[in-house]
Amino acid sequence: MTMKDFLKVENLSKSYPTTGDKSFITIYENVSFTMEKGEFNCIIGHSGCGKSTILNNLAGLDHASGGSIKMLGEEVTKPSLERGVIFQNHSILPWLTVFKNVTMAIKCKFKDISKEDVDSKAIHFLKMVGLKDAMHKKPSELSGGMKQRVGIARAFAIEPTLLLMDEPFGALDALTRGKLQDKLVEICDKTHQTTFMITHDIDEAILLSDKILLMSDGPEAKIAEIVTVNIPKPRNRSTIVNHPAFYDIRNYLVDFLVNQSGTINKKLKKGELKESELPISVDPHELRFQLENNSLNT
Amino acid sequence: MSENKRAILLSIIIFIVFVVIGELITGSGERNKKNLTEYEQLMGMGETQAHVPGPFEVFERAFEELSHPFYDNGPNDKGIGLQLLYSIARVLAGYLLSVIIAVPLGFLIGMSPVFYKALQPYIQILKPISPLAWMPLALFVIKDSILSSVFVIFICSIWPMLINTAFGVMSVKKDFLNVGRTLEMGTFKTAFQIILPASLPTIFTGLRISMGISWLVIVAAEMLVGGTGIGYYVWNEWNNLDLASVVFSILMIGIVGMFLDSIIAQAAKYFNYVE
Repeated sequence: MTMKDFLKVENLSKSYPTTGDKSFITIYENVSFTMEKGEFNCIIGHSGCGKSTILNNLAGLDHASGGSIKMLGEEVTKPSLERGVIFQNHSILPWLTVFKNVTMAIKCKFKDISKEDVDSKAIHFLKMVGLKDAMHKKPSELSGGMKQRVGIARAFAIEPTLLLMDEPFGALDALTRGKLQDKLVEICDKTHQTTFMITHDIDEAILLSDKILLMSDGPEAKIAEIVTVNIPKPRNRSTIVNHPAFYDIRNYLVDFLVNQSGTINKKLKKGELKESELPISVDPHELRFQLENNSLNT
Repeated sequence: MSENKRAILLSIIIFIVFVVIGELITGSGERNKKNLTEYEQLMGMGETQAHVPGPFEVFERAFEELSHPFYDNGPNDKGIGLQLLYSIARVLAGYLLSVIIAVPLGFLIGMSPVFYKALQPYIQILKPISPLAWMPLALFVIKDSILSSVFVIFICSIWPMLINTAFGVMSVKKDFLNVGRTLEMGTFKTAFQIILPASLPTIFTGLRISMGISWLVIVAAEMLVGGTGIGYYVWNEWNNLDLASVVFSILMIGIVGMFLDSIIAQAAKYFNYVE
């Protein structure tokens, strides 16, 4: 098995029957990509393109209508402790303390370890997100950012092979989001956690990702392009903006979301694009050129 | 003055106003029983007609009754405490039986949408039936008045528990269930570690409503079946035309009801959570 086969998604599609008639509406189709171990991938796209559903497919919480997902060669059919999920609305169990939320997850994953080990593991991960002092509080006593940090601690504590994050900072204010992004950069640099993340925040995607998957608009959404972020790690939120590639990538992503994402399906119909060519791998060194080229077309 | 202090003061003022108005309305003219012989008292000769007792007369009776609440001088003369204990015991018996059946059953109904929909019509028909309507059937089948009143409590307290438990289980947030799924929890573990704690506040709402209804119903049931209990006591004192005792026992029913409710409310607080 090669490193390429860590996660292999092939021709994934999702369709729902429409109410009333017997036709189906396809949310996304022909979604294919791979992930290597230790990679951090973000997926960006407009609302309604099915990002969350793809993530739920990867988690095994929801089944795709077609295609296959293989992790380490095994088909993903149901949720697994090997795939940790950080939910958009944190989903911390409100009747348990912060500490118990984390220990519960640890006990589910590591069934044979002693209580002391469970506790010390939980404390380790709560320390990692800076919540050790609040560990005996109930979630209702915490701010939104702190709750999301509990979610992060809980997900990392089960040491998943693949971590899935569904817009983890989407509901937070900008300041808190920034702090948590720093925390996440720090943790990921340390753990080399393989992560797949949904985000709406372009800067966040560039800061964290090795590759950014760009989705065209739904229905019949596709992964149109994959942009490799060629900014060396470790990155830092305050200095990344000084890197020459940052604004090239940023402008390219904005251009895609504003001008390009809605036109992909039209171009496919007209034959300007071929379905089999998607997703297009975007070479980060040619971004500026591509951007100018795209702008001329539109 | 803090809000609480002002509230307490206002409460005391309301109490005093209530007592004064009570005294004025009921009048105090005909209360010369003390100098009569027992025969004259029994014949009601002290009063030309029965009157609604004033607050002080009720307080006096309360003091008298509460200074020896557990005496037992035969079937028609038992202390108020003893009568209340009979009623509480019946309520608890019927109520606990109901908890044992309704909570697990409600749990199952809530976990299965098919079950929930299938049982809806039955529950909706059975729920509005006055529990006392079951009494004749219960008496005939069970052939025991005490057990029949326990059954009536059972049948009246089961519906709120059943409905609330099922509803609580059904409305557990999908996110919480997904947490359980991603942690590879089995059905049992999910039921006890996710669904139960998540639905306990709703379940306790049902438990509290049921307790309230049970206490309302036991008084009526005991008036019907007689023998012992606070309901019988009220009716017996009415037959004796001892209105001071009637008013006193009404107050006691209220106090015990409040007490029972607060026990469940306290327990509910323990299991409640804020999101």
